[in-house]
Amino acid sequence: MSAKDKSEELLAILRLNLENVRHREGVIGYILRNSKSASVDINDSTKIVDYAMLSGESLETGDMVSEIFQLGSINSVVIEGNDLKVLSLVIEDQHVSIFMDRKVDHNKICKELDSTKHSQKRNASSIQSNEENQEQNEVEIPL
Amino acid sequence: MSEDKYANALRATLTEVRNICPPITHSFIFTKEGKIIAEAEQDTEVSTEITLHSFQNLIEKADTIGGLNTFVVNGNKGMFQISRVNNMYLAISASKKADMTCIQSAARVIVPTILKLLENKLLENIVSTPTTSATSYQNLTTENLTGLFAGETAQVDNAVLKEWSKNLNNTHIDEIEIETPNGKTARCKVKPISEREFQGKGLIRIPEKIYRVLEVEKGEQVKVKPAVPWRER
Repeated sequence: MSAKDKSEELLAILRLNLENVRHREGVIGYILRNSKSASVDINDSTKIVDYAMLSGESLETGDMVSEIFQLGSINSVVIEGNDLKVLSLVIEDQHVSIFMDRKVDHNKICKELDSTKHSQKRNASSIQSNEENQEQNEVEIPL
Repeated sequence: MSEDKYANALRATLTEVRNICPPITHSFIFTKEGKIIAEAEQDTEVSTEITLHSFQNLIEKADTIGGLNTFVVNGNKGMFQISRVNNMYLAISASKKADMTCIQSAARVIVPTILKLLENKLLENIVSTPTTSATSYQNLTTENLTGLFAGETAQVDNAVLKEWSKNLNNTHIDEIEIETPNGKTARCKVKPISEREFQGKGLIRIPEKIYRVLEVEKGEQVKVKPAVPWRER
């Protein structure tokens, strides 16, 4: 399997896992991006820009902090405010941020999404059928 | 309580937290404006200047989720956490071995409690005790005071005592407050230095018992000021 195929397979699995997470109670949306494109699925579309900026800033700060304080490669970044919290992950070349209510257990979501790396070997055909069922409000943005 | 004392007390707290939980590698407290209030003594220096600028950007962007309460970065070799404590932010980095309970205790209980106490004390002092030059600290060098009658009374130059007394409307100075660079303080009785060989050298002769309280050694610089009851000022 070529690197491109692997990347596409990872993206497909990640999207599938994100869809499962998306329908959990308290999860209000996600942003998935790589160097070429971004998928955004957020309940309140007026917040997309603000959330995208926060997502980018939190991962950038995570990178910088990791370098300065020698934390190694980043497993997760969590930012919590009075209203919401955001879990950000870097899975291969994919950057994911999930926005949720504060009461949601982000550790469970983190484990679930982290399993994407391990389930990459699964049959990609089952993923394709699930992808077709994705919500209509998901927006694909080419970068 | 001066801002200097406040910072020293916070630094001592952070250093103690680090002593309790050795996997903590760095810890510091900063304001929203990016000013470091206190930083624990640490083995390695890091460029907090760059980090603070990024934290300010992050804090700004976190307005969209109701401000920044906590920010946690989990790496495969360690973790980093920022927690809002009152109007300030406590940053802690630790190795993978760190006990998270200890870090959470520091972030949610120890530091907020100390901050609250210090803020109350600071406020109290601003309201009731205007700082005057007469009661400002004087830097003196520590010298041992041994002997059978050393007791718990420190000794400073008679000239220094006279100067303090003059500035405080000729109040008799019989107690002083000593503060170390680490923020440890002690209050004790004071007398003029009796032995000529120690006079006029900017020394403070301290008995063993007070040395132990302050955790200082001979030759260290300490800040000393008269402890005068408010009614006598």
